[in-house]
Amino acid sequence: MSEESILRVEGLVTQFSTDRGLVKAVDGISFNLRRGETLGIVGESGSGKSVTNLSILRLVQSPPGNIAAGQVIFQGRDLLQASEEEVRLLRGKNISMIFQDPLTSLNPVLKVSMQIAEAIQLHHGQGRKAARAKAVEMMKLIGIPDAERRADDYPHQFSGGMRQRIMIAMALSCNPDILIADEPTTALDVTIQAQILELIKNLSAKDKTAVILITHDLGVVAGMCDTVCVMYAGRIVERASVDELFYDPKHPYTRGLLDSIPSVDLSGPDRLYSIPGAPPNLIDMPDACPFAPRCSKVMEVCARSMPPETLLDAETSRSVRCWLHTKENRNA
Amino acid sequence: MPENQYLLDVRGLKVHFPIEKGLVFKRNAGWVRAVDGVDFSIRKGEALGLVGESGCGKSTTAMAVAQLQTATAGQVFLEGRDLAKLSAKGLRAARKDFQLVFQDPYSSLDPRQKAQDIIAEPLRIFAKNGLITMDDTAIQREALSLMDRCGLSASFAGRYPHEFSGGQRQRIGIARALALGPKLIIADEPVSALDVSIQSQILNLLKDLQKDFDLTFLFIAHDLAVIEYFCTKIAVMYLGRIVEITDSATMAKNPLHPYTKALLSAVPLPDPRKERGRRRIILKGDVPSPSIEYRGCPFRERCPEAMDRCSLSPPSLMATEEGHQVSCFLYGGA
Repeated sequence: MSEESILRVEGLVTQFSTDRGLVKAVDGISFNLRRGETLGIVGESGSGKSVTNLSILRLVQSPPGNIAAGQVIFQGRDLLQASEEEVRLLRGKNISMIFQDPLTSLNPVLKVSMQIAEAIQLHHGQGRKAARAKAVEMMKLIGIPDAERRADDYPHQFSGGMRQRIMIAMALSCNPDILIADEPTTALDVTIQAQILELIKNLSAKDKTAVILITHDLGVVAGMCDTVCVMYAGRIVERASVDELFYDPKHPYTRGLLDSIPSVDLSGPDRLYSIPGAPPNLIDMPDACPFAPRCSKVMEVCARSMPPETLLDAETSRSVRCWLHTKENRNA
Repeated sequence: MPENQYLLDVRGLKVHFPIEKGLVFKRNAGWVRAVDGVDFSIRKGEALGLVGESGCGKSTTAMAVAQLQTATAGQVFLEGRDLAKLSAKGLRAARKDFQLVFQDPYSSLDPRQKAQDIIAEPLRIFAKNGLITMDDTAIQREALSLMDRCGLSASFAGRYPHEFSGGQRQRIGIARALALGPKLIIADEPVSALDVSIQSQILNLLKDLQKDFDLTFLFIAHDLAVIEYFCTKIAVMYLGRIVEITDSATMAKNPLHPYTKALLSAVPLPDPRKERGRRRIILKGDVPSPSIEYRGCPFRERCPEAMDRCSLSPPSLMATEEGHQVSCFLYGGA
């Protein structure tokens, strides 16, 4: 746990103005990422996981988006205050990103080697030839067969799994400190998912790259992550090590999520638990726990005010945002 | 075993799509063998899960069973009737017995109809064609009671699809499928588009409905965990064929086909300790194209246990024990 922190997000708020009101997609998020750590961010659609990570790299489109508050500290600098040029120099070099759908994230009219080489040319000032050679080397590293020949192919000539490998090659070509993977395997079949996850795991272990893995799949989290943040309605409701989260979840939402997934080894219950209702609409949220209407352990206070984030273990920075676990309630 | 025990019996089902070349003078440049000889049967009250990766032909199989896709070869028997042999009128009447639930509740509901009308539509069509006798008041009442049964408040009856969440829309789709009192529900990835917390709501609803309405399911999904939870029997498909078929418990504990083993080992378990102790079978490469005609076993190029004979002829589905069939030379077969 003594590894140095390389990225610190503090009180991040990202909102979108829409015709129907202000949407606080991310509402006060803080976390710490250590070198070599794999941090999972889990949550359902609309919980703010992707917006959190787009905000880190200042990729939120504005308008309608707007990073209203917070700090993102990387190498002692606040990226939210840095100039656009400074952030641009970090993107792809120090912090890079892979997205869910590799076909829409790749340029269809450029050879894949050129797309991989682009970052190398840009950030390392290498010539075309040297960059292409490095691109081919990256393609070999990520397991594209016949890389030398396929380097001149276009994205549509690759399968979904191969395209995602190319995205990973692009993202890792400059040996970044942080890799942000936003649902990297959601669009892929399960046997291909296994290949890609294995690849991310091995490559990040080799270079001690820190990974932020955004996913809705708790199985992927169990196999990949060291630490997990569970998001609900724009906030982190629980932060824990992967073992603590799965074997001793504190927040009723985490508990509910874990109980509602079937397991392939039939170790689960005969009947799945299901959390009633649906996630809330984020427009003009009241000052109350957003999970209260669906919570099995709801108390009177939950509808009156938002629970504070309670630190349960200072050393592991385990925390939960629930009235059941606030200091007063735990001591009572 | 008397045949009438089976509600659905599918034999030698093939669906091949032509690959056309040329702009003006179209010529046939080959075939995509989406479904290439599939046999299975479902007993009344059972739920059979068809599982496999994208492009393995599971949805095409479902569409061919539902007579929404013409089969190239093979038969589909529902309670002993060959559905393809029915007249257009006969088929329309028979549709009462088998209904579909689709994957995407956003695109499978008419955006300009109210929830109650969407659910009532099958009844109205059947009443209009004289296949059932119900007046409109009775139909309205039935639609409301179906909404209630599927967990939708009657106050939502006048709402349009866009006013519902994804889970609620899927409930509308399910209510519509139940309207005619079907015996068989063909559900094509009914929970894949839903969030985890909503997915379990819908799975539990389907389980309750199965019991209450005595339904039989053909359930298609790519998620093995969902299939194992919902289904009593599982068929694993690969490149248009069934490679293994058995009951859920056997599939989980004693999978035989190398592809099934790899598939099971690739599914992430929501349990960190088990995940750390797991040895994954990582398959090499991708699923090959279904347009190539294979002389041997279609899985052999990715198979970790391929032998010489696998390239000579394709294995056929053979029983290794009561209720467990596998298509692999490792377990005998000519």
